Amino acid sequence: MSGNGRLPEAATPVRRILALGGHEFSSRPPDRAVCELLLRLAGERGGARPRICILPTASGDTSEQISSFYAAFGERPCEPSDVSLFRLGRRPLALRDHLLSQDLIYVGGGSLLNLLAVWEAHDIASILSLAWRQGIVLAGQSAGAMCWFEAGITKSSGKPLAAAGLGLLSGSLCVHYNNEPERRAAYLDAVADGMPSGYGLDDYAGLLWEGEGNPSSLTARRGARAYRVSSREGEVLESPLPVRFLPAPAPAALREDIAEFRRITGMRKRAGWLG
Amino acid sequence: METAPRQIVAFGGGGFSMESGNPLLDDYVLGLAKAERPRVCFLPSASGDADHYIVRFYRAFSAHRCEPSHISLFRREQGPSDLRRHLLSQDLIYVGGGSVVSLLGVWRAHGIDSILREAWESGVILCGLSAGSLCWFAEAVTGFHGEAKRLRGMGLLPFSNCVHYERGGERRDAYHRFLREGMCGGYAAEDGAALHFVGEELNRVVASRPQARGYRLDVAGRRVVEMQIATTYLGDREAPPAAPLPEALSTAPAPAAG
Repeated sequence: MSGNGRLPEAATPVRRILALGGHEFSSRPPDRAVCELLLRLAGERGGARPRICILPTASGDTSEQISSFYAAFGERPCEPSDVSLFRLGRRPLALRDHLLSQDLIYVGGGSLLNLLAVWEAHDIASILSLAWRQGIVLAGQSAGAMCWFEAGITKSSGKPLAAAGLGLLSGSLCVHYNNEPERRAAYLDAVADGMPSGYGLDDYAGLLWEGEGNPSSLTARRGARAYRVSSREGEVLESPLPVRFLPAPAPAALREDIAEFRRITGMRKRAGWLG
Repeated sequence: METAPRQIVAFGGGGFSMESGNPLLDDYVLGLAKAERPRVCFLPSASGDADHYIVRFYRAFSAHRCEPSHISLFRREQGPSDLRRHLLSQDLIYVGGGSVVSLLGVWRAHGIDSILREAWESGVILCGLSAGSLCWFAEAVTGFHGEAKRLRGMGLLPFSNCVHYERGGERRDAYHRFLREGMCGGYAAEDGAALHFVGEELNRVVASRPQARGYRLDVAGRRVVEMQIATTYLGDREAPPAAPLPEALSTAPAPAAG
């Protein structure tokens, strides 16, 4: 069954995952560009008011992460929600039904180790894998990006160490590539030591998988890069990928003014004031 | 040097997390530590290491009467780097409430469960409420999310456990059902009651509220036998401690909170 009955029954829905090297839900232009992309991806599946759900598990469900998500999406054309596994006591929820009714599931950053441990305890991994196969977009940054791969480099225990992910995507991912040299160094060592090859993502760089084949790379901040990292005969190769730049949309206030301007222009046109 | 006994104090509910202004249970566990300024480490894992919870711990266990610390498994880079060494050097480890399922998952991921077993065996007192009580037992009844569920705990204590065991509550019915379905016998505690185990034996039940009680539950054939356990109200100066250990005797009962 496809999402919400809004799409025609497709034989095999396109499986989509968006992995981001790092971003926040702030009003800064690159963060707005990321939100816009998430809205677009969700809208391609869910129409005018797609359902977008955040899983803030990796942070321990901090109010900070949850409220910044709502601040970013609350006023936009979508239905935002959160599944906070640590807060279910006060807000019971049919986990499986809720997650499988989404158009996009966004996983926040934090501890990759804890994320996977808590998901396993609540049996979330199988639901996410099913969501992916049903065409629900999976997205996330930092731990929320590495979790989809076979392996990543996490600082969940303090210093950067290799850790396993869910393995929906083959290969590995290292996030915050430009900002955390020690994480990048640990990744290069791990790949040299046999970790499956993969990708390095700077903050604001992302990789989008749509169906089979290679991902497309994109960036919400000029200069942020995505790298293909592989090992050949004991030597680790790091090659930058061509990235598409996502321009930031106008901020909310400006957007409203533009809409108002267009409305007025339209009225004037209809009234025959303009040529 | 005598070996310190293994001790666990399992609150049905209470302490600073639930009983603002009533420090009786927190004073009781602090009093069990023999050190003049006991080292107390808070594990808020079941709450996802919620900041407000950590702050409330430091307010309740202020530095003038103990040496408080906490371990946040969601922000390991900020805490002690050697978890084992830190936990084994404590007098008291206090586990907060929340989701016991998440708690056990995160502990396993960081190897905390085996460190806590080691701490218990070396005489570090373990205590906690709600999820922080259920975790120590072989089996537990959790009602954190939706319908009450049966789950496996760390098994330091070879019993089952049910917290927030209020009269007429759903958990009570669920616990009885699980016992009939083969769950091992065990103990339940109402909010304000705490089960104090020395080794694997229940030593006494103490309470921060005059009416709060602890219970022993067993199954005879298909019948659940529930027995109320004599409970010492900690706010009552006159109440004689019920068959306590020497270290429990040394705990001066605190006055009742207004």
